[in-house]
Amino acid sequence: MKLKLNFLIIAILVVFACGNSGTKGNEFVFPEADSIPLSEAEKLSPEAIEDISKNISSPVEIANLLQLLEVPFSQEYLATSIDANKESTNFNKAMKLGILGADLGYLNMYEKTGSSLDVLSSIRKLSEDLKVGQFFDFEIIKRLSQNKSNLDSLLFISIESYEQIDTYLRNNDRGQLSALMIIGVWIEGQYLATQVVSKFPDKMLQDRIGEQKIILNDLIMLIAPYCNKSTEFNDLCRDLQSLKDTYRDVRITYTQGEPVASEKDGGLVITQTETSVVDMSSDRLNSIVKLTSDIRNRLISIN
Amino acid sequence: MKKYLILALLLTLGFALRAQSTDPFVTKCVLNAGADAKYLKDFRIQLGKAAAQGELRYRANMSLWKNTKYRFTMCSTDDSKGQLILSIKDDANKIILSSFDKKTGKTYSFVDFVCNKSGIYQLNYDFSGGEQGSGVGVVSMVK
Repeated sequence: MKLKLNFLIIAILVVFACGNSGTKGNEFVFPEADSIPLSEAEKLSPEAIEDISKNISSPVEIANLLQLLEVPFSQEYLATSIDANKESTNFNKAMKLGILGADLGYLNMYEKTGSSLDVLSSIRKLSEDLKVGQFFDFEIIKRLSQNKSNLDSLLFISIESYEQIDTYLRNNDRGQLSALMIIGVWIEGQYLATQVVSKFPDKMLQDRIGEQKIILNDLIMLIAPYCNKSTEFNDLCRDLQSLKDTYRDVRITYTQGEPVASEKDGGLVITQTETSVVDMSSDRLNSIVKLTSDIRNRLISIN
Repeated sequence: MKKYLILALLLTLGFALRAQSTDPFVTKCVLNAGADAKYLKDFRIQLGKAAAQGELRYRANMSLWKNTKYRFTMCSTDDSKGQLILSIKDDANKIILSSFDKKTGKTYSFVDFVCNKSGIYQLNYDFSGGEQGSGVGVVSMVK
């Protein structure tokens, strides 16, 4: 058994998001306060931060939903204007590493290998600049991306590389870069979903966008300790807070039910009968689409 | 001489870092999830024998989304005394699934979960009987 000890965490007792968001009765609510006190965000334990980073919806899941809805691939959603050679600050490098990670997930899911090589080359440059290039085996990823039968291995290696970078940065007092990378991944996934929903107004996709309210507060918690670090961080914190305000009227309610179990092919199948229901007006959705686009475009344009 | 020692150390470190991403046991478990499965995350677990049986000891949170079918695959190493088992709780602390059937004593090596309620779920892993073991829990999406 060659598992590395640093991956093995015994009996982690984590209180989800330090009680800052959750269900109240049958409805999901933000915490009472309009903003998170810095002192409270700073109390986040390393385990809680790790948990938040694992909570964030994977862009692969968004891309999977798009495929389920038979939404065609489009190059126009990608952050093609990013020039990895022109990024001057670690803030921009880490943020764009996250944004390009989400684009890579989208490309991988749609098996767009030609474009993914360009994105991989930018990822390589940014990760090397941040001194985390050792976690990417670019040759393997490149080889896997050229062989369409290896999608699962490609997703595994790509996601695993990002998780290793995230862990490494947090363990080496570079938590602010880890937070930026995670937020970059999320904002690009959110951008992808919101751009698609403008053209394909599907209820399932609208709901997925509305449900991001569940983890938005966690993202704000993650970045909160660094909000006063520089103007760049301050602007990002302000943007996320604005997005949270836009989400305030999105209602997520729950219906009760017991899970149903059956067996199939030697495995257990559990179907959940409890449901979550999103109530979001089209005006609200439009505001979220617009603000997400503004934030993401501002982030990719600065260097 | 010192220069060569540092170089050797860096090369060794580089090899060790690269080896983390290609652990054959984890890779095998990921591929065991099935041809239709798309990898999302894995949790690597190593536990000693429990002092007393009770709650499952390894815990992690993960967001699961409505209209998605997840596959949770559990793999244990050959030298583990128990089999890796999983139970999942929702944010109200209600158990929504377990890979171990207490009534029959059967342990499932994978569980498909059709999620209809988006939220943060708590994944709890342990080895059957609170035994010592090493393993990996892989989370994938399936159609």
